Amino acid sequence: MKLGSVIGRVTLAKSLPELTGARWLIVSPFTREHFQRGSESLAGVSKDPSLVVYDSLGGGVGQTIGYVEGREAAQPFETPPPIDAINAALVDDIFYNPF
Amino acid sequence: MLLARVEGNVTATRKHPSFEGWRLVICQPINNAGEPEGSPQIAIDAHGAGMHQRVVISSDGAAARKLVGSEKSPVRWLIAGIVDEHEPGVPV
Repeated sequence: MKLGSVIGRVTLAKSLPELTGARWLIVSPFTREHFQRGSESLAGVSKDPSLVVYDSLGGGVGQTIGYVEGREAAQPFETPPPIDAINAALVDDIFYNPF
Repeated sequence: MLLARVEGNVTATRKHPSFEGWRLVICQPINNAGEPEGSPQIAIDAHGAGMHQRVVISSDGAAARKLVGSEKSPVRWLIAGIVDEHEPGVPV
């Protein structure tokens, strides 16, 4: 799982039948610098490319989420849909203390 | 598998039910010299790794699902072990 901040949402006009009704978030991944800055700054867009994440928890713009990338993203479904990133947690708090 | 250092933890109320009860620790991948490399990864911790301890994390989703006991879990990264010696006889 990685952390990222939700910077937007996507809706699909036309999609594969497995994906109808899904909710999608645009997520900007946290880099080490984001963790170091902590929660005092609403960390903007990182230099790592943003990605679209399937969401079933109801994440909103500005929130920090934990998302899982890879084949595991399709695991919660009865018939695995063609997705490779899923929102797995809405983060409440981050306790970070770099070495 | 990656060598990493534990640098904190994360709390989340709203999460996939399979994460219930698991510690979510922030693992910063490091090189042999202990310098950070890349973005931190959040892993589930079955060993009770302490702050700033060196660990080995694995991206084996199948093993992580078995650990949490749910085939429907999206969990991927887990702490595979805690490092005590860099090379034989040289503790970290």
